[in-house]
Amino acid sequence: MKRTTIIILTCLLATMTAMAQNGLNINRLFDGRFKKAAGATEIIVTGRQAHEIGLDVYHSLSVTDKGQAELIESLVVKDGAKAIDKEVEYRNGQLYYGFYTMKKNKRDNHYIFFLNQNLARKSPKNVVTLIYMEGSANSEKIKKLIRK
Amino acid sequence: MKDLEQITTQAQLEQLIERYFDGMTNLQEENAMRQVLAHCPWQSDAIDDAKVVMGYFSAHSKQHRHATRRAARLRMTGLAASIAMLLAVGAYALWQHQQPAGQDLCIAYVNGQAIDNDEEVMRLIEDDLNHINAASQGMAAQLSTLGEALELDNE
Repeated sequence: MKRTTIIILTCLLATMTAMAQNGLNINRLFDGRFKKAAGATEIIVTGRQAHEIGLDVYHSLSVTDKGQAELIESLVVKDGAKAIDKEVEYRNGQLYYGFYTMKKNKRDNHYIFFLNQNLARKSPKNVVTLIYMEGSANSEKIKKLIRK
Repeated sequence: MKDLEQITTQAQLEQLIERYFDGMTNLQEENAMRQVLAHCPWQSDAIDDAKVVMGYFSAHSKQHRHATRRAARLRMTGLAASIAMLLAVGAYALWQHQQPAGQDLCIAYVNGQAIDNDEEVMRLIEDDLNHINAASQGMAAQLSTLGEALELDNE
């Protein structure tokens, strides 16, 4: 019986580990906590409207709360460590700008953008923005999209 | 601590056997267990296992019991793997269901207020992207300046 329990627990642990590897750390920020928060903006675009801009999912957060901004930065940095491609800029030891390409599967990519406008040289603003994009577009197309 | 007189029921014997396999018994208890096993009429997997260990079964019987136990173990492993597989499939289905990619959604929440006007939402996205673009341009400009400086240095 002990052996069976160990086997079941091992299988469960393996399942949970596999599940954890599927998701990004920033996913926990998209649990709806910012939908009713003052000083926060959350945008969710999927389906037809997302396809119009060449994506499957567009999900963004902009927050002014310092604590939440620090949480966002830490989660982005964690996910960024697993990125297959990244462009980052640190200012004063803090992440100012980050563009991370995360491979999802053969067809889709997911991308993470991060911007801390507190660290901008021209007219800094107390806003930290996180954008998650998902779709078949490659990183060049994504860059074109933001330059539009 | 158990002695021979204290083992009067099958449950007591099985309890002692469990302690024996956990290495918790002393010499006196093991002797008592041996004697009871040699004469007891009770039958259960635990008692049979103990008899095998104590050498009360023939080699043929031992092999048969090993085969039976192996089959039971394989069944349990299969069952455990099936449960894990079902959990994994269920969790994956739930995770897929939570992904909004399949739905038509175009909504923004600004300071707790929901905005479902497509144009307004797209304008907010444009704002986001403009800020990101400005930051990335800044980085590109830095790289360009760096490149020019290197070129000048090489001339």
